[in-house]
Amino acid sequence: MRLKAATPADPVQRQRFADSMAKIAVDRCRASFAELFEYFAPRLKSYMQQLGADPSHAEELAQEVMVTVWRKAEQFDPGKASVSTWIFRIARNRRIDAHRRTQRPELDPDDPMLRPPDPETPDTTLNRAQLEDIVRAQLETLPSEQLELLKAAFYQGLSHSEIAKSFNLPLGTVKSRIRLAFNRLRGQLEGDP
Amino acid sequence: MYWSKVVSANKAQPAFSELYSAYAAGCLDPAFALLVETQAALRPDVRRDLAMSEVIAVSHFERAEPAELDDDAVNRALDAIDAAAASNAPPRVALNGVSSAIGELLDLPAPLKDLALFAAGDDGWKFTGPGLRRLALPVSDAAETELFRIEPGVAVPRHTHEGSEFTLVVSGGFTDETGSFGPGDLSVKGPADCHQPVADRDGPCIALAVRDGGLRFQGVIGIVQRLIG
Repeated sequence: MRLKAATPADPVQRQRFADSMAKIAVDRCRASFAELFEYFAPRLKSYMQQLGADPSHAEELAQEVMVTVWRKAEQFDPGKASVSTWIFRIARNRRIDAHRRTQRPELDPDDPMLRPPDPETPDTTLNRAQLEDIVRAQLETLPSEQLELLKAAFYQGLSHSEIAKSFNLPLGTVKSRIRLAFNRLRGQLEGDP
Repeated sequence: MYWSKVVSANKAQPAFSELYSAYAAGCLDPAFALLVETQAALRPDVRRDLAMSEVIAVSHFERAEPAELDDDAVNRALDAIDAAAASNAPPRVALNGVSSAIGELLDLPAPLKDLALFAAGDDGWKFTGPGLRRLALPVSDAAETELFRIEPGVAVPRHTHEGSEFTLVVSGGFTDETGSFGPGDLSVKGPADCHQPVADRDGPCIALAVRDGGLRFQGVIGIVQRLIG
């Protein structure tokens, strides 16, 4: 597995990215933009290719996203999201608008979309930045086979049955492993052991 | 496979929706993305699950093997920035308050509001039966997306669908053969299901419906619908 090869941005690096965003917003600093570009543009291209764009189209999309980062820099709020999340969101929305590939939902009978709201669930008192820190820390503790499944579902956007096929696992196993991993993350947010 | 009723929460082992992971990854059809975003705006539990999904996606986005870029990629981006600054087109602004009839639309949750305001200004609401109006939302080529407004106590004509229909209650509520649905609740109906939703009596019901097949009304309204398209 090459999963750990490229390490995710650490807290120090994340702070530096946030500082670069501020310099772009306030000073229109081109050096700060170049720094963000160096880290994010190759990952944006990789993401777009992952979702089916050919290399030259993927590079164009990465360019467009980075230009948007410059234009909207003053809208970035470090209390609400990390720079990675904010940039990824721009890319994802760009992609939802552009590709319009239909992912036909196949809902599980236990699907929470079909669940009435649980009145005992309090509105989260965590802000987005805190939630992100907790989930990131918890992700680091997951075994690599769970991370691979999460990658297939949340980054590659595969359905559970597509994952079952590509990992050669029974569908029920895929569902229960993803549920297990997700519940571990959720448990951390709720303060469970 | 399709399910025609609300499934109660299994507290010991709540499931995770594939819609949220597909949304986080950017693979969801825009109509279903709107459905997910609207449900999140209405429900804190969905908001949290979606936020978590996004963090998982982002952490893999960071971990992914970076792709090779053209040598002058960063300069091309800076050139594009300079070119855009030179032309500096003013942003498009959503229309405001063209009519008092849109008052209700202003109370819609954010993901829906602008879209509904544009649609109301464009084609507008269509009369679909006594006490029943619908507003087509131009979201997706693949899935039909509409906002329904049902007067209190009014029954939507019994209908079936070609494909599946996802109905999210935005405000008010309705009851059909399978149960009662309030704000944030989603009803999923498949081709085999024939149902007749009745709006609650305490106020109009506004619901967002996404269908991947046509909706067929039965009876007199069905005939009228076929005539007026």
